[in-house]
Amino acid sequence: MAIKYSELVIEHFKNPHNVGTIDKADASATEGSPACGDQLTVYLKVNPETQVIEDIKFQSYGCASNIVTASIITDLALGKTLEKAKAISWKQAADELGGLPPVKMHCSVLAVDALRSAIKDWEHKHLGTQIEQNITKKNLVKELQKVIYGKVGVDIVSLKLLKYIGIDEKKNVLIELAVSKDDPFIEDLKNEINERMEKFPDVASVKISLV
Amino acid sequence: MSSKEVYLDSCKTSRLAPEVLDAMMPYLTDKYWYPGSFTSIGTEIAEVIENSQEIVAKSLNAKPEEITFTSGGTDANNIAIQGILQANKEKGRHFICSTISHPSVLAVFQGLEKQGFEGTYISANRDGYLNLEELKAAIRPDTILAAFTHINHILGTIQDSNAIRDILDQADHKIYLFMDSCESYTKIPINVEESGIDSLSISVHKFNGPKGMGLLYVKNGTKIAPTQFGIVRLYKLKPGAINVPGIVGTAKAVEMAFSDFDKQIERYRDLQTLLYDEIIKRIPDTILNGPPIGERSPAHLNVTFRFIEGEAIMMMLDFDNIHVETGSACSSQNLQPNYILMNTGRTHEESHGSVRFTLDRFVTKEDILKTVDALEKTAKELRRRSPLGKKEQ
Repeated sequence: MAIKYSELVIEHFKNPHNVGTIDKADASATEGSPACGDQLTVYLKVNPETQVIEDIKFQSYGCASNIVTASIITDLALGKTLEKAKAISWKQAADELGGLPPVKMHCSVLAVDALRSAIKDWEHKHLGTQIEQNITKKNLVKELQKVIYGKVGVDIVSLKLLKYIGIDEKKNVLIELAVSKDDPFIEDLKNEINERMEKFPDVASVKISLV
Repeated sequence: MSSKEVYLDSCKTSRLAPEVLDAMMPYLTDKYWYPGSFTSIGTEIAEVIENSQEIVAKSLNAKPEEITFTSGGTDANNIAIQGILQANKEKGRHFICSTISHPSVLAVFQGLEKQGFEGTYISANRDGYLNLEELKAAIRPDTILAAFTHINHILGTIQDSNAIRDILDQADHKIYLFMDSCESYTKIPINVEESGIDSLSISVHKFNGPKGMGLLYVKNGTKIAPTQFGIVRLYKLKPGAINVPGIVGTAKAVEMAFSDFDKQIERYRDLQTLLYDEIIKRIPDTILNGPPIGERSPAHLNVTFRFIEGEAIMMMLDFDNIHVETGSACSSQNLQPNYILMNTGRTHEESHGSVRFTLDRFVTKEDILKTVDALEKTAKELRRRSPLGKKEQ
């Protein structure tokens, strides 16, 4: 089947909204890295009284989907309170764009991730909230919910491809995936999982087995 | 898209030359016959096929009987590689290939490995040249075949088949050399009598010929077994229906490419040089992928535009009706960066922003200038959106 973008995606790619930086931004966050492909930075200006996002900008080193999901997510967040902005999901962003091809869904996840990290950065700076990086099963699974299986465009937790996650006393993380070793997305999944686990500096190693 | 199409992706496919279509047309309509003996219609077609075979053979300095028309490059690869390995399996089951071969060739070897054949994959340096020391070390008493890509489709690197032959000849038994020449045929001269090549494959739609046609050269005396079985009408290696219009169209495309070969090569060189010079003059922070201009394929350029992503560049150019290819992971079906760029020691970032431009006989100077205008505009706009490279710019 032909994989193509919706007209709205094309429109946002041609003329993305909220591109740029904010001078003296209240908070910012970068997700992804050039070493593994796309990278996105989100800048925020937040009213400290009302906690409403008064300005939001982004910069993307990525493909069209990366740029358009950042464009729509910043549109959705602008004028919202931090609480409401945090609730924007990657599915919602993709729906707003008239859908995204499955293989591009991970871009929407990256955009949501960057927005939420920027909000966390604001809360950390202005409210003193600790950024939680405790290695608990719950936190790890929450991160793995952001790993998208490119064949269908849904995360590995919802798809039940994540069969097991364990943490031993030395903080080695063991992950079992129900994916065939011939699956074309296997390298992508491994990269994504490793990248997600890097968010927990205390994790000693990550071992991924295919079951 | 109203503006004139600019197509710089002949390595993927190319426009059918109108002269080729004209040559094919009678055989798609009134002259729908098959070759045969004695009858007027049968002998007319038999002669047309013989003539086509001679035209192709002459372009390679081969003998007509050494040429088989196939249904594409992949078909020719399969017939040659599988046929040579199967025919010689009593002597050995080892082959040598490379980590930067075309995926269609690697796929054949992956299939053969499942049937008990064993391969050694030699590496290449940053510019895509094969490591010949590794080749020397890879040779075993049971090595039957070495198969390489003549011009690499990603890097534009031209391998020296004679240097490879010299190493293979150091073995105390015959090792066949197969070259995937899909990207080299019509772009560099190939003389099978002097190149040390035993067999090669060619894809016709990459040089303005019809799709679904390939050419296979197998040197007389090569021990090769058929891999396809059916009614042998013309070629023992390719039984079945004869694509007469495809054969005629192939011969016409070959004739066109070789009637003004030197002129075309000079034209490719000029266009390639113009494209590269204008890019580096007008767009900062670029990296040339593959060997320098003058050393690489004349019809091939691959450039990384730093701080921006290749699929985005490709789409922006598409809006201007300009068509190129990228090695970016975002553009691949499995989200992996191009393995050839990665296997030649390039970073994910270099692969991410890489754009390939390949030429054919229809590309003009105006096309190149229009492309550079669009690239300059695109790079500026995408870099405005990018968080990277701000200090360097």
